[in-house]
Amino acid sequence: MTQLRAITEQSQVIVTCGTGGVGKTSVAAALGVVAAQQGRRVVVVTIDPARRLLDAIGLEDNTGNEIQQVPLDSVGELWVTMLDVRETFDSLVRNTSPTVERANEVMQNSFYRSLSKSLSGTRDYMAAERLYNLHNDPRFDLVIVDTPPSRNALDFLESPERLARFLKHPIVRFLVAPSRGGFRIANAAMQPVLKAISGIVGGDALTGAAAFLRAFDGMETEFSRRALAVAATLRSDATHFVIVTAPATDALTEADHFVSELSRLRISLRHVVANRMPPTFGVLTAAEEKEQARVTTSDLSTAHSIIAGLCEDAENAKTGIGAFLERTQVLFPQLNITYANEMPADIHDMESIAILASQLAVHPS
Amino acid sequence: MRLFAPTLTGLSFIMELHHFFTAQRVLIVAGKGGVGKSAVAGALASLSARSGLRTLLVHLDAPSTVIPAHELLEEITVSPGRALTDYLSSKGMGLLSRQLSRSGIVELVATTAPGLDDLLVLGRIKAFERELRADVIIVDGPAAGHALDLMRAPLQLKRAIGSGPISSQADEVLAMLSDAHRCKVMMVTTPAMTPVSETAEAADDIVESVHVNLTPIVVNKCEALVPAIDVTHLSADMREAYQYARDKQSAQEDALAVLTDSLELPQLHLSRHRLNGAELIEAISGELSTAIAGLS
Repeated sequence: MTQLRAITEQSQVIVTCGTGGVGKTSVAAALGVVAAQQGRRVVVVTIDPARRLLDAIGLEDNTGNEIQQVPLDSVGELWVTMLDVRETFDSLVRNTSPTVERANEVMQNSFYRSLSKSLSGTRDYMAAERLYNLHNDPRFDLVIVDTPPSRNALDFLESPERLARFLKHPIVRFLVAPSRGGFRIANAAMQPVLKAISGIVGGDALTGAAAFLRAFDGMETEFSRRALAVAATLRSDATHFVIVTAPATDALTEADHFVSELSRLRISLRHVVANRMPPTFGVLTAAEEKEQARVTTSDLSTAHSIIAGLCEDAENAKTGIGAFLERTQVLFPQLNITYANEMPADIHDMESIAILASQLAVHPS
Repeated sequence: MRLFAPTLTGLSFIMELHHFFTAQRVLIVAGKGGVGKSAVAGALASLSARSGLRTLLVHLDAPSTVIPAHELLEEITVSPGRALTDYLSSKGMGLLSRQLSRSGIVELVATTAPGLDDLLVLGRIKAFERELRADVIIVDGPAAGHALDLMRAPLQLKRAIGSGPISSQADEVLAMLSDAHRCKVMMVTTPAMTPVSETAEAADDIVESVHVNLTPIVVNKCEALVPAIDVTHLSADMREAYQYARDKQSAQEDALAVLTDSLELPQLHLSRHRLNGAELIEAISGELSTAIAGLS
């Protein structure tokens, strides 16, 4: 069995990371197909707000956090979903709130509404929360997380700790403390800080934030507990990280960045998928095709020089990936690699994902 | 009238470029990862400087490509992570900002006003524009997904925060983004289905929500036309390679058709180069100048 097949067979969580344009979402879906063929009940969640995965598998009408099953001829099951930040936050509030009234109070707060609508920081927290829910959902035994195609994609790994730290911050504790005449009673040390914050974001925002935190008070214990549970899962043996890359120079630079991030976070990397590898064509070489382009004429010459380009792509790709693998194995000696070929057209349907899945499953590592 | 000038050279060529680059002061280049956005931004900056305009190339991430040096070209990195502390320092709160970041309050402020970092990044760009730091400011923007967050940040903050300095900063940034004489956005894509559909989606979104103005769209990495040849005498390997090239080309044609249907914008086509670094920037600059001249 290839190592990648062992990962899809045994892990509880697989996190795919990589920059945009390397086909990371398609690889996440294809790994889901492989796992489902092994009899697992797998859900693929994409945090990427561009709805690529759902489009690719014909579920473009999916809304919010809805989880949909992909019709598949396999022993196991494949489900897909995406992250709706607002909906995840709402259900978290409903689940952790002591009463329905308290939950409604939080959800109607203006600060909460802007917080849950914003896409940047909150998305990380909610990605971790969503992972917690799916991981604990008895319907699934494997969760594949497709991270956003940004440099900060791994921020969500640290978000649980960041959130727990934030909620324990003295300023936050102070804002949460029962209000007795607004912030006027703030102690001397607090006063200039509060003044500075309200000078930057405006007094209304701070008051809104304070009201939110008060309404939220008591719920944050459970909130933090779940966040830290996710952090523990992500660092355990049940989770595998897979870096997806392509042979392009910029993609490999970004892959280097992910490698050093994982190493900094003390997360072990066992597998790389080199996707979109330009295919080779039997015995054809760039040098020979260039020569043919020189000795033939007109259209045949043009065809030879285009094919020379394709061969050159394949040769460069091999060199580029080889160098990447060599420098990554310095940090992670156990590292394995699986190759998948670039297809003439973009992956945009289930059929091409199935082809990718078969490449990932059979290629020797 | 091109009757006496079949190719643009010398003065008229420079004038075409000046016209393009000075039609606005800030040009934000945006596109999803892998489309070559940074190389296009670098090539534009290089071309602008060489046409005699003082050019500022703003990176929002550590620059990954080396742009050939030019006396009129300046590069600067505006990092989102530092924008808040920079802002505080500029307001005479440097000491406070250091205290705040040590105590973790900066995180609190950023959480209180999500998107603040993004707004402050745009605020810096707006400041460059107002103080006439250069004739042309080219921003190597973030990847397409985040470009949306970035450009929507002022709007969201305005909704969340009714008044105060941040709110007026948001107003000023929005005024710049929606003014075609001050700022335009150049979307970059490649001729493949996924980037094309995402780019069209992102373009519609920012035009509708932030009222930005778009330049012609750049379609980068276009493959050369594969001629029709008689394959009967070719080896099996050669036939397979030829078929692959033909399939790629028809996928490219499909994607370009979708782009033309979904975005009513002129397209600047650039070919795919098997080059890196300064050589790549050089090749794209050359193609861009011809494409820009062909626009009018």
